[in-house]
Amino acid sequence: MVSDAADPEEREGPADGAGPPPGGEPGELADPEANVDPSTLDPESARRLEQDRRDRRLIRRIKAGDERAFQELVATYQNRIFGLVYRMINNRQEAEDLAQDVFLTVYRAIGTYRGEGRFYTWLYRVASNHCKNRIKYLKGRHFNTRLDVDDHAEAQMPSGQGGALHSLQSQVPGPEQMTEGNRLQRAIQREIAALDEEHRLLIVLRDIEGMTYQDIMRITGLAEGTVKSRLHRARVALKERMRPHLK
Amino acid sequence: MAEQETPRADDELMSAYLDHELDSASSEAFEKMLEDSPEAKEELAELQAMLKLVGSLPEVEAPPDFYDKIARKIRRRKFLEGDLPVFLTLPFQVLSVLVVLTIAVVYTMIHLDHDPAAKLEKDPNAEKVAPEGEAGVEGEAGPRAPIP
Repeated sequence: MVSDAADPEEREGPADGAGPPPGGEPGELADPEANVDPSTLDPESARRLEQDRRDRRLIRRIKAGDERAFQELVATYQNRIFGLVYRMINNRQEAEDLAQDVFLTVYRAIGTYRGEGRFYTWLYRVASNHCKNRIKYLKGRHFNTRLDVDDHAEAQMPSGQGGALHSLQSQVPGPEQMTEGNRLQRAIQREIAALDEEHRLLIVLRDIEGMTYQDIMRITGLAEGTVKSRLHRARVALKERMRPHLK
Repeated sequence: MAEQETPRADDELMSAYLDHELDSASSEAFEKMLEDSPEAKEELAELQAMLKLVGSLPEVEAPPDFYDKIARKIRRRKFLEGDLPVFLTLPFQVLSVLVVLTIAVVYTMIHLDHDPAAKLEKDPNAEKVAPEGEAGVEGEAGPRAPIP
C-alpha cells in the first residue's frame, strides 16, 4: 500500500487564521523545495511545485503591503474556494458571503502565516473551518440547505452562462432548462448537502475537488486511516441516498 | 494534530482501490477478494457509478465582482477599526464634535424657553404688577414678602 505519512514540515499557522502561528520569523517564508528542479519531476508534481512557488512569491508581496498581489491571490483561488463553500452550504448567496469572509480572514492573518507548508492547504483549512462554523450557525437558525431556490444547475454555471444571475428569473427555470441532466445535478447537490458535514467535506475535497489523501489529511487534521475509512462511509451514505438516480 | 478513530481495514481498502491508491500487489489481492464476494463487487460497482455522477457536477464559478466585494469589506472593516490615515479621519472627528456642540446649544436654548424660574429671573417685577384679583386671593393669607 502506498504510504501517505504526514509531512513533518506541514505545521502551519492557525486553522481558522485567527491565532498566531507557533513562533518563527513572520517576515520570512520558508521554501522547503527551494533546491528542487521541476524538470526532474512528473508534470503534475512540477505544476504543483510551480504553483507553490508562485503562492510564496505572492504572499511575500502581500506581506510587503502589495494589494495587487492579494488581488492576484484571490483571482487564483476564488473559484475553488467558492466551489468548496457552495458545495458545503448549498446556497449561492450564503456561499458568496462566506467565501469573501474566508479571503478576509486570509488577508488579516497573512502576516502571521509562516509558509512552511503548502499555502493552498492552509487556505482550505481556513475555508473548511469557516464552513463548519457557518453550518453550525445556520442550523441554529433552522436554515434548510435542502430548500435552496438556486441550487439548480443554471446557478452553478460560469457567470457568462447564467452563474452570476441569481435573480428571480434564474430561480424559476423554464421547462427547457429542466433537462434530465440539470435535474440530476440538482439531485446530487441536494443529496451531498444532506450528508453529515464531516462526510460532506470529505466528498467535496476528494470526489469533487480531486485532492490527494495527503492534502486532505493536512486540511482536516485527520490521520490517513481515518480519512480513508471515513471517506468510504461518506461514499456509502451518499450512494444510498442517490440509489434512485443510479439506475 | 491528527485525530484518531478506529478505521476498518475493508473500508480503507475499498476507498484506496477506488482512488487508485493501492500498489499493484494490494490491488491484485483486493480484486481477488472481490471475485469471492459478489456483495463487495456489487457495492464497488455502485460506488463507481455514484462517483462518476458526482464527478460530472459542473465547476462552480465565483461572481465577477467577487474581489470588489472583498475589497469593500476590507475597507469597511479598516474604517470601523479606525485603521485609516489621519487626513481621512480628522474631518469626521471635527464634524462629530461640532454636531455634539450644536445639539447641546439647541437643547439648552429650548430648555431655557420653557423654564418658568428662568423667566422670573429675567423679569423680577413681573409678580408685583400681577392683576388685582390674583393679589386679593393671595392676600387673604397675609401680605407677601417683597421680592428682594
